[in-house]
Amino acid sequence: MAPATQYELSQPPNDAVSSLVFAPDSPSRLLVSSWDKNVYLYDTTSSGGGGDENSTGEDQHGTLVRTFEHRAPVMDVCFGASDDEAFTAGMDWQVLRIDLNSGEQSVVSKHSAPVRRVVYSRQHSLLISASWDSTLHVHNPTNASLAPLTIPLPGKPHALAASPSKVIVAMTSRLVHIYDLATLSAALTSPSASDPPQPWQQRESSLKFLTRAVAAMPSDAGYATSSIEGRVAVEWFDASAESQARKYAFKCHRQAQQTASEDGATDVVYPVNALAFHPAYGTFASGGGDATVALWDAAAKRRMKVYQKFPDSVAALAFSADGKCLAIAVCPGFETGMEDYSGEGRTKILIRELGESEALPKGTAPKGKGK
Amino acid sequence: MGKKKRGHPDIEEILSRAWCYYCERDFEDLKLLISHQKAKHFKCDRCGRRLNTAGGLSVHMNQVHKESLTTVENALPNRQGLEVEIFGMEGIPEDVVQQHNQRIIQTFYQQQAERFAATGNPPPGERGKEGPAKKIKVESADELKKRLAEHRARTAAQKAAGGSATHTPTQGLPDGHSPAQNGSPGAFNSPFAPPGGQFPGYPQQPVPGYTPPPQYPQAYPPSSLPARPGSNLAAPPGLPARPGQHGWQGNASTIDELVSGAPQPEGDEIDALIRMAENRIKPPKKPDTPATAQPAAEEAAPDKKSKKEKDKNVKMIYEDELSPEERMAMMPRYAFAPQAVA
Repeated sequence: MAPATQYELSQPPNDAVSSLVFAPDSPSRLLVSSWDKNVYLYDTTSSGGGGDENSTGEDQHGTLVRTFEHRAPVMDVCFGASDDEAFTAGMDWQVLRIDLNSGEQSVVSKHSAPVRRVVYSRQHSLLISASWDSTLHVHNPTNASLAPLTIPLPGKPHALAASPSKVIVAMTSRLVHIYDLATLSAALTSPSASDPPQPWQQRESSLKFLTRAVAAMPSDAGYATSSIEGRVAVEWFDASAESQARKYAFKCHRQAQQTASEDGATDVVYPVNALAFHPAYGTFASGGGDATVALWDAAAKRRMKVYQKFPDSVAALAFSADGKCLAIAVCPGFETGMEDYSGEGRTKILIRELGESEALPKGTAPKGKGK
Repeated sequence: MGKKKRGHPDIEEILSRAWCYYCERDFEDLKLLISHQKAKHFKCDRCGRRLNTAGGLSVHMNQVHKESLTTVENALPNRQGLEVEIFGMEGIPEDVVQQHNQRIIQTFYQQQAERFAATGNPPPGERGKEGPAKKIKVESADELKKRLAEHRARTAAQKAAGGSATHTPTQGLPDGHSPAQNGSPGAFNSPFAPPGGQFPGYPQQPVPGYTPPPQYPQAYPPSSLPARPGSNLAAPPGLPARPGQHGWQGNASTIDELVSGAPQPEGDEIDALIRMAENRIKPPKKPDTPATAQPAAEEAAPDKKSKKEKDKNVKMIYEDELSPEERMAMMPRYAFAPQAVA
């Protein structure tokens, strides 16, 4: 039995979750994309008692507002300019725009391979999609007259994240490109430039294994990446030597397993599937194949909390816009050598209401939210 | 020695330390332990109130927050239960206490072994039992001569075998070390075998890569650890006989200082032995110690290997050049064929 401040949404997706995201304005509107070809829109608080700390009753299990069917598994979802607009990345090579009120779907972009990730930057009104055809597509959905931009990438993208001014693309071969959103926006409005915009920074991942997830700091200072080999790295955008010296990586989501043989314990290393920064505090959550979620203080390099094990691998994480809730997608993890995989019946969406100082770095006053 | 001892608490001191049932951490005193438990294990994650026991926290959660507590926070996986009522050191089940003590004793002796191995110091108090640390035992001339004959026979046999057989270990003269070290072969004799042979199953863990548990950070400065490879481990078999026997020369000169008027050695160990026999002086090493030291060292070597392996003993749940999503996308269940639709 989970504590009551952590509850499970009723009517979870039928198969593994690829991504979940909270609406930028409403703290209870949650979109979930699933391998079962649907996107789910939930209201995480059924009684509309939104951010009220005292209304955490046990009967709240959220409501499924609507589902949006796709023709192929949905790999990613993000909100657009408003809480009523969403974009999805499909296995069917397409980026769709969905009107969450009417359910109307329209194709925004077509890639030549499945689309892995989509992000939308509100500040720049840019939609960026990353596909396994090793390209980024850049759109301005608010201005349909602008021809979309295609940026070739040196490798298949696996993770994508946008900070207020940058977008980080993590690819195969440990490549990381950081694009400046303003440059992309300028290149989109003046198509005269024949060459696609160059990355603002090109980096090699600090992690030696395949990058699994990227999350950008809302403070625009840097980002965190995670790999399939139980490790998380925190890096800063600032290319100066002092700032780069601050970057670090650490092991996590591992378990020492006692083996029967005399050579002692084996370290079982799980992939770190998900990263999410808290919208206000400099803290972030990581979710791994070991079915745990940990909260980290990026500045103090401290682990703040590890939650009790979930029933299955953690596939995706998202903080609500007000930072009061953490959505956790739990489904079986895909492991090496799996011939068959199905998240059916074991997929859950859990909402954890964070205590007042739960995600707050130590030594900070609980009221200091303007930080 | 006295100073050293202060740095490394003895086993009784370690065993008497207060420790936490939930996370196995140990503390200077009970007060610290209790405040640790209140802060780490019995703290309400809703309001931050620190309770005295898990039961207390459970009741608090129930009454104040209308929530039910199922597990103790920050606890080891098998210690998360609420069934045991713990307060400080009270309430810990007997079998857990036993387990804990065993673990402490094991790590203690292991670290002590490593320390002795790293420093080359003899274990305090073990000197008398385990061999002549600095005491010179007089060997009769006959014994020496007999030993010399044996040695010659062995050397001859080795030469016959093309010099590929083990050599110096029979002589028990590790190279490049001070007599003091030579005088403490006991360091490798495992005099610190766990008392009563209670823990035969624990593998001896060697030094490299070993991080001491956080509770003894000062006691075992890592800087002393790398010294281990250079210590008097037996030379790997299969090497040609060491030319000149440098180590022996070093010893010989020291012995010569002891033996006034003795001529300078020619660099031949046999000569040195003979000279010592003449002077009725026993080399600082008992003839039988090398034989016993040898297996001990051999024991240590494979252990070291297994430790290295252990460090690499990592099982990755997912290891691939392709992402899990790409793998999943290949499965018929999720596959999408664009031409079929278009």
